Amino acid sequence: MDQTAAGQAGAASIHLDGVSKTYDGRVLAVDDVTLHVNPGEFFSLLGPSGCGKTTTLRMIAGFETVDRGRIHVGGQDITDMPVHKREMGMVFQSYALFPHRTVTENVAFGLRMRGLARAEIAERVRAALELVALTGFEDRRPGQLSGGQQQRVALARAIVIRPRVLLCDEPLGALDRKLRQQMQFELKQLQKELGLTLVFVTHDQDEALAMSDRIAVMNAGRIDQIGTPGEIYERPQTRFVADFIGEINLFDGEAHEGGFHLDGGRQLPAPVSSGRRRRVLAVRPEKVMFVEEGGSVFSGQIESVNFLGGYTLYRVVATGRRPILVKETNLSERRARAPGELVHLSWNPQDVVLFDH
Amino acid sequence: MAEAVATTPLPRPRHVGMSPIAWLAAPALLLFVIFFVLPFGTMALFSFLSGNPVANPNVTFTLRHYERFLSDSLYFESLVATLRIGFVTTLVSLLIGYPLAHWMARMHSRVGHAMLLMAVIAPMLTGIVVRTFAWMTLLQDSGVINTTLVSLGWTDGPVRLMYNEFGTVVALVHIYVPYMVLTLTGVIGRIDERLEQAARNLGANRFRAFIEVTLPLSLPGILAGSLLVFALSISAYVTPFLMGGTDVLTLPMLIYQQVGSSFNLGFAGALGVILLAVSLLVVFAYNHVLGRFAGGEKMA
Repeated sequence: MDQTAAGQAGAASIHLDGVSKTYDGRVLAVDDVTLHVNPGEFFSLLGPSGCGKTTTLRMIAGFETVDRGRIHVGGQDITDMPVHKREMGMVFQSYALFPHRTVTENVAFGLRMRGLARAEIAERVRAALELVALTGFEDRRPGQLSGGQQQRVALARAIVIRPRVLLCDEPLGALDRKLRQQMQFELKQLQKELGLTLVFVTHDQDEALAMSDRIAVMNAGRIDQIGTPGEIYERPQTRFVADFIGEINLFDGEAHEGGFHLDGGRQLPAPVSSGRRRRVLAVRPEKVMFVEEGGSVFSGQIESVNFLGGYTLYRVVATGRRPILVKETNLSERRARAPGELVHLSWNPQDVVLFDH
Repeated sequence: MAEAVATTPLPRPRHVGMSPIAWLAAPALLLFVIFFVLPFGTMALFSFLSGNPVANPNVTFTLRHYERFLSDSLYFESLVATLRIGFVTTLVSLLIGYPLAHWMARMHSRVGHAMLLMAVIAPMLTGIVVRTFAWMTLLQDSGVINTTLVSLGWTDGPVRLMYNEFGTVVALVHIYVPYMVLTLTGVIGRIDERLEQAARNLGANRFRAFIEVTLPLSLPGILAGSLLVFALSISAYVTPFLMGGTDVLTLPMLIYQQVGSSFNLGFAGALGVILLAVSLLVVFAYNHVLGRFAGGEKMA
């Protein structure tokens, strides 16, 4: 059948051009989203709940209609194509396994819908279950499996049809931390092995940073920034992205040829800007150093100490502003700092990011 | 192994006591015993007695009421008619009720859901007799439908729409569809919509997704709703009496005759026992068949 051929055609690219979605004609859930996912790329949509990331994914899958804009997959316009013809795999947050069917029947479902021969279905189901390490669970029902096993069945069911793209809606959200990390690793590995184009929706920044080739950070229905995990983390382009990804210290002030002036007059270490502009200076806690009194930018008292295993997070209160976060790696020779201690802070100019309000 | 078990006795499981809440079921249990077990026992006993033991101390045990049922085909035909009306009413209620229940269960608008619920429940606020009379004004020979048909010249004379099983089923369906809808809505509403989406994503069109996923998962609701409607329609008295006229004779009507005009409590009891036995048989068979469709899962 031609569907089989399409399934074997391999990973496809995804293009969203000016895609918008309103609910009840008023609430703008997705606002003019344009993004390109390359074939074989692990692409994450990252943002807080209600930012439109799941709606965007559901539009690609075809569960939501597109109000404006077009969606192309592998060069083909699929904006108005019915869900069942899109040749996409999807892993739902709740897994959405068929409770009345066994593991084998769940995984075979997509192949059965494609009218494949019994023998081929059996062989491909066997291979898919082997791939997700679920051999031996063929005759169980979803209710008899653990969360992690259900997750694997959902994954096997989605990839066994050899989809052009794999869509994942917070697939690891329901797993506990340890299992989650293991599944992150396995999913990433599987994606690389099969060369899948994968769109991954998550609100978990660590997950997105760890797994993605590229990330689109969404905020209130719009894309704030698209980039590699490194770019997103080190070079956030908006206040929202800076704030949402990891911890960061933000300072309002004015950038100019000489560097950066904090409101109130204090000079902060920053790269040189051309022209005077009101901007925000952002610096990650791990880029802030404890220094001797002479070369410091801020001096203040340690308000709290959070020991987090590999590193310690300090909150330092300098006069008249928000506490500054400092992250220090726990090396053996470091002495522990105590709350109440007076410390002096600074950072290197090249470690900061400046952006508009 | 056996020796090991004998020498080291397993720790006694802690006494599994009844939950204190279970006592709350006592009134219902009492009600069941006093108003079902007791009367049914009495009725069953009467069906094996030659007369009324209160009036006549010389009664003996006999099977003659059951022999009478078998001896006259009128009674057997009445049983068949009762079951036929029950089946058709259940089937039509299911065919009308399922799409409605599905629509209701999948409705996202709260207002829309409330409106539909009102529409479904509103008929139940009117008495059965009133609704049956309403159907009579529509279906009788000089009723609205026949007058219209004749005046349009579509038929020569009135079409017989009531005083037969058709009219009886129409009125029964109208009365019992809400029971079907309410039972089904609860079950369908608990089926995760994403299951159907997953099926569509895997290549099933909407209809196929419904057949493969939603329908089998709603079988418990279909079973419960059907049994409810079936039980109600085979025991209905007023509607078959008013709508069926002389053409329809169901077991409940027969029983009423035996009690009300023939004063034959023994035969009435026998008819009651037979109706219950046959309907229980039907229920078990139905449960078994649907259970197999659901993939061997135990349902009711």
